[in-house]
Amino acid sequence: MKTNRIAKTALLLAGLALCGQAQAAKQRLEFWTQSLAPKFAPYFKDVVSRYNASNAHVEVVWVDYPWDVIRTKFTAAIASGKPPAMANMDVPWAYEYKQKGLIQSVDPLVDKSQYVGGALKDVTFDGKLYAFPFYNGANVIAYNTELFKKAGLDPKKAPGSLTEQLNYAKIIKAKTGVAGFAPTLGPTKLEGLMAQEGLEVLKDGRAVFNSPAHVALVNKLADAYKAGALLKDNLFAQDNFQVSMAAYNSGRLAMLVSVPAAMTRVRDDAPGIYKVTDVAGLQLSPTGIASGGWQFTFVVPRNVDAKLLPEIGKFGNYLTNAENQLAFSRFAGTLPTSKRAAQDAHFQTYPTNAGAVEKAVVAAAKNLEQTRTIYLGGVKDAELLSTRLSAAVEQAVTGRKDTKQALDEAVAFWNKKLGKS
Amino acid sequence: MSQAQTMPAIAPSSASALQRGLRSARLRRIVRRLPHYLLLSVLAIITVYPFWWTLVTALSTTGDVYSFPPPLWPQDPSLVNFIEVFDTIDLLAFYKNSLLISGATVVGTLVICSLAAYPLARMQFPGRKLVFGAIIATMILPAEINFLVNFITVSKLQLTDSVTGVVLPNLAGAVGIFLMKQAFEAVPQDLIDAARVDGANEWEIFWKIMLPLAKPALGALAILTLVTAWNQYIWPSVVMTSPENFPLSVGVQYLSGSFSFKTRVVAAGAVLTVIPILIVFLFTQRYFLRGFDGAVK
Amino acid sequence: MAHSRKATLTAYLFLTPAMVLLLAFAFWPVGFGSYIAFTQYNLIDAPVWVGLENFRELFDDELFIGSLKNSALYLIVVPVIQVLAILLAVLVNNNLPGIKFFRAAYYLPVVTTVSVIGIIWNFMYNDDGALNAILRWLHLINEPIGFLTDDRIALFAVMFVTIWRGLGWYMVLYLAGLQAISADVYEAATLDGANAWQKFWRITVPLLLPTILLCSIMSMLAAVKAFEEVQIMTQGGPFQSTYTALYYAYEFGIKSLNFGRALAASLVMSVVCMLLAWLNFRYLQPKNP
Repeated sequence: MKTNRIAKTALLLAGLALCGQAQAAKQRLEFWTQSLAPKFAPYFKDVVSRYNASNAHVEVVWVDYPWDVIRTKFTAAIASGKPPAMANMDVPWAYEYKQKGLIQSVDPLVDKSQYVGGALKDVTFDGKLYAFPFYNGANVIAYNTELFKKAGLDPKKAPGSLTEQLNYAKIIKAKTGVAGFAPTLGPTKLEGLMAQEGLEVLKDGRAVFNSPAHVALVNKLADAYKAGALLKDNLFAQDNFQVSMAAYNSGRLAMLVSVPAAMTRVRDDAPGIYKVTDVAGLQLSPTGIASGGWQFTFVVPRNVDAKLLPEIGKFGNYLTNAENQLAFSRFAGTLPTSKRAAQDAHFQTYPTNAGAVEKAVVAAAKNLEQTRTIYLGGVKDAELLSTRLSAAVEQAVTGRKDTKQALDEAVAFWNKKLGKS
Repeated sequence: MSQAQTMPAIAPSSASALQRGLRSARLRRIVRRLPHYLLLSVLAIITVYPFWWTLVTALSTTGDVYSFPPPLWPQDPSLVNFIEVFDTIDLLAFYKNSLLISGATVVGTLVICSLAAYPLARMQFPGRKLVFGAIIATMILPAEINFLVNFITVSKLQLTDSVTGVVLPNLAGAVGIFLMKQAFEAVPQDLIDAARVDGANEWEIFWKIMLPLAKPALGALAILTLVTAWNQYIWPSVVMTSPENFPLSVGVQYLSGSFSFKTRVVAAGAVLTVIPILIVFLFTQRYFLRGFDGAVK
Repeated sequence: MAHSRKATLTAYLFLTPAMVLLLAFAFWPVGFGSYIAFTQYNLIDAPVWVGLENFRELFDDELFIGSLKNSALYLIVVPVIQVLAILLAVLVNNNLPGIKFFRAAYYLPVVTTVSVIGIIWNFMYNDDGALNAILRWLHLINEPIGFLTDDRIALFAVMFVTIWRGLGWYMVLYLAGLQAISADVYEAATLDGANAWQKFWRITVPLLLPTILLCSIMSMLAAVKAFEEVQIMTQGGPFQSTYTALYYAYEFGIKSLNFGRALAASLVMSVVCMLLAWLNFRYLQPKNP
């Protein structure tokens, strides 16, 4: 019975191989997206079939993989020597693949006039462009107006800065007993938070996050923590989105800072909370950066067939052009990286009866040029360093160690590591 | 505990209140076992609760998913979330793939592991200890990172995107060989000697004496392999290049898309993943837990 | 016993399929991986030999040392899980009405999806969660216990979930073992006047020894290799108190594409695992009949 099955599989494989040969005349261009099927299947099928109809000599194929699979698959596909032509990655991942020499520069292929400047800067590593910009995200603040009222706060006035958010959170905790706020203080997230407050993490290749300003920032967090104003669950983990989402949706958290697309989760999972949810934009950082930018891009593996490169360029520019990006953003609730798409009314106004989902898109799209993906680049072992920074902040915020001392120790650790490489 | 101690006092009176006969005998047996049942139930609540929560979430249609404390019963129960699973992904195709992968893995594992275990358990030959040691070593070493190298091998064998490619590396499991070896060692030597006197060769001894006597072990191995194969996630997702060939464990991930995440539907997907394997367990346990003596007689 | 050539040939014929598969899919990756542990490797270009550099980096890192210690500490789950699984197996080794459903119930955690386990146990362990509610109701505590937020407790809280997840799995194995013990043996013991306790220690345990050996090796190796529970519940925190060796290898090796380091960590783990397995065989292996 088993030999039979193997024989069948072998036959099937032989059949597949034959089919492959029949189509060998056309160049195959496969591109991967992450976690967009099945919702976006009609969208991508339409985009692809329009392209294939007017480009007789290539066969573009769209494949979507779940987000927790795609990275491993991409790595394995590169290792086996048969990578896809393009794959969908966020900026830090693209940077890591670039650092290891696994993807190639797409500088000569990209039509740069199409995109917003900030989006291009995000994927420019060592002076060269390494990806096609695709969609972006930026944070807004969603808040439970009922809890605001209970705490005696004006539900029309949303806290736009971290200081305000922490103050509100303390008031909410004192008046309602519910945690007010769930900042992300985990590894790889603190760098963004510090940048948001206009504070540098690295300067000239040395760690500098133990200045009085840094200490003051961490003390502010510690203060709120002591008052019980911060949601403790996974507070110092790399990802506290799931738990803070669950807490917000169950009324155990008053404010949720996240991307507009997250509002659909509130709408679908917690209709009761959604009714009392309002949304507002956040302030720019002192250095003029919007909060929570996170761009998704298309990268090209280094060992892709070189003959395919001109086709990849042509298709990549098409896939991320204004029309296609606009259609995608409308559907997904994301922000575009295309200049022309950003001018569309969808990102400028919303109807008077709009819910939090529609409001969030407009609020987030206000500062598109300043929407940058912030992560620790240009250093070896960034994740290890990041983890150490987060651990120091955890000790300080929870009162386990003096803030200055904790940050000093982490800076010393960083500089020891940085000095070696 | 205090409750358990008062039980026997109640049991006789309540039993006498009922009519005598077969039914009451059965009932009395249950009543006498009440402390036992109580303990079983407490443990069952602890193990079942997370699954129960998932089921309640999937069956409910109103209210907030993460309400605190979590609800114990579905609110406005209906099957819409399950229907949405079927509408969103091709669940039947994923079931078929999972069935094919798990079935092939179970059959292949039973064949290959028992073949390898027999000489290790009952034959004397040079290199026996070395071979066994090497097999055990593969069980001991952390294999979590092997998949990258194995994918290169599978891809060189032109087996990517095939059931064979997914199944092949998992067949010769050290746990399976070990389990079967233990079972074969427990077979009385007399039976083998008797068969030899009757002129049986090694293959016949293996096939007609060893395997039937090792049924409980084969059963246990089958269910262990089934669970691992069914829940296997990273490896099939790497080997299968066409999403339509994904097994259920990977396929249900399409329910939690970046911009289409509905917790109730995801919960329904989780329930649909677990149920088949639970049913298999429920109905096969008698077979694979049947004792040795039943097989000998 | 003299080995005839034919017997040897037969033995190896039986072994061939397994040996071929193991060579290709178990020994080759381990061998190649061990080589990679001494190199810098990015999957495309040829590996560059760096000697002990990857290991030096590992042992230079307090976090890795801490992770190793936590993995060692994780071994506490082994005796707990084995004792509980044997008791559970004894508890369900009968034909009471409905017993099949109880067995299936205990088996449920084994097949419950990992992400669901994460959600549920976060509910259970939360400050306002079920466990704290029960403890408060029993007046055992006044302040909630931070099961996953207190670094003195978190690792044990994570271990408990490992035990909870594994219990059904080992119960099944022990049940298979128990059912293989002939009823005659117990009857003979009853005639000799042995009580239930004596029967358990003098018959059940010795006859279960092969199963105990298998299960304790399996759960030991699973314990030192634990990482899924960490990933879904604590991601190493709080205060890095729940980092395990494999979680470290995954975070700072595979995820950050540092394959040399991942495989070096893996090699260190291999040595630890070998040692543990050797101890098991040394002290639990019954004499061959």
